[in-house]
Amino acid sequence: MTGRTILLVEDNPDDEALTLRAFKKSNISDEIVVMRDGAAALEYLFGNGNGNGNGDAVPYPALILLDLNLPKVGGLEVLHTMRADERTQMIPVVVLTSSKLDEDILDSYRNGANAYVRKPVKFSDFAEAVRAVGAFWLLLNEPVPASGPESIEAGHEQ
Amino acid sequence: MIQLGALSDGTFAALVEEAPDAMVCIAADGRIVLVNAEAERLFGYERTELIGQPVEILVPDAARAGHPGHRAGYIASPRHRPMGVGLPLAGRRRDASAFPAEISLSAIGTDEGILVAAAIRDVTDRLRLKDLERASQGLESFIYSVSHDLRAPLRALSGYSEVLLEDFGEVLGEEGRGHAERIVAVSEQMGQQIDYLLQYSRVSRAELHLQPVDLGEEAARIAEEIQRREPGRRVSFAIEQPVKALADRRLIRTVLENLIDNAWKFTSGRDDASIEFGTAPSGDAAMCCYVRDNGAGFDSAYAGKLFLPFQRLHAARDFPGTGTGLASVRQIAERHGGRVWAEGAVGAGATFYFTLDGKECT
Repeated sequence: MTGRTILLVEDNPDDEALTLRAFKKSNISDEIVVMRDGAAALEYLFGNGNGNGNGDAVPYPALILLDLNLPKVGGLEVLHTMRADERTQMIPVVVLTSSKLDEDILDSYRNGANAYVRKPVKFSDFAEAVRAVGAFWLLLNEPVPASGPESIEAGHEQ
Repeated sequence: MIQLGALSDGTFAALVEEAPDAMVCIAADGRIVLVNAEAERLFGYERTELIGQPVEILVPDAARAGHPGHRAGYIASPRHRPMGVGLPLAGRRRDASAFPAEISLSAIGTDEGILVAAAIRDVTDRLRLKDLERASQGLESFIYSVSHDLRAPLRALSGYSEVLLEDFGEVLGEEGRGHAERIVAVSEQMGQQIDYLLQYSRVSRAELHLQPVDLGEEAARIAEEIQRREPGRRVSFAIEQPVKALADRRLIRTVLENLIDNAWKFTSGRDDASIEFGTAPSGDAAMCCYVRDNGAGFDSAYAGKLFLPFQRLHAARDFPGTGTGLASVRQIAERHGGRVWAEGAVGAGATFYFTLDGKECT
């Protein structure tokens, strides 16, 4: 598969390095774009604000790995904003965080997360989690058809 | 309804005398005319020392100068009310020390003019409790956020050690790899300890959802699960059913899981392992349960340490664990108003008891 991107939203440089390593080890070769705070992630997705974002110029990511505790704009708000916009409504979002707080898990699902994975402390467990997430969402799971949700709705009307 | 006429003066006097609050009665000129036993105790005076004295003798130095004015104001428009609404009030003991007080006032018209009665309550304990509650809430959220934040560097510690092992294993040599492996193992252990702190803080803060639970049924389910995880082991379970209790289902399940997991773990050396869950006679206590096994047991000299977090009585290589299970058991039993204790001897098995309402088995 070429041309697909994975968006990793992560502010901790160590977690970033280890996540990238885990992806590399599990032979996931899709391009990984890293945004280090929630505002940058929204900018990347929508090109809001000063307009130097990528907006529609780049394809939307095939998968988003989202930390919750982020500078500027938090992960839940990123998720909420994404789900309110039909361009990003259906992109699979896996919340990848240290938190095991029930409220965080509930809020993530309420805001439309597709999965919630708590980062294990042990790196080999963490790497296995990243591998499993990638394998499921990029290989096993059928993505939203390329024609997008609009064409399907149109199909229903016929 | 008590008919006032039916009570003699002596009964009234006795009622005032035995009142749980300190009572001090003053005349219009501010002189003390009556005190009760609690007032003597609270302020540290004999009543003969107080009668006839201005009430300001009981007012802390800082407030004394203004007091006659307040007193006159009250006598001008007397009604039943708490004193100094919204202000921190204090009383002054004989030794000049002050204590925080709650005071309510009422006025009584008599032939000799108006009498003002003050009921005074020492609120030191209540304030201290409030402070304690505030401090403990602060501490719990501190524990939560710290333990949460500690996980990130720990993950890096463990992660980079594994990177060293994988990418630089040859350079490190056997001894170096051994050290890196220790870092990985110890990080993981610390991760479990941090998880315990998180859980501890969560259980302290959680609201209890009390509902009728059949502990026997829960225990049987746990036994089934654990047996399924390790089908190779032969352990005979004897589980009393039903054992109905009022408890928080999720938390009490954690108690049973920890106790049964322990029993399972510490009987691993036996071919005739048996684990028993039942209730003991408990006098008037609502519930006293136990989990008994015929496993490795423990030295009863260290029984007190069993329920402390991160304490282990067995070497990790014999029986792995983080030493947090029994600490959780204790915390949860105590949140239910109960307690825990254990009986056992080395090589002779162990019995762990818990109650859910604070009373011990008989």
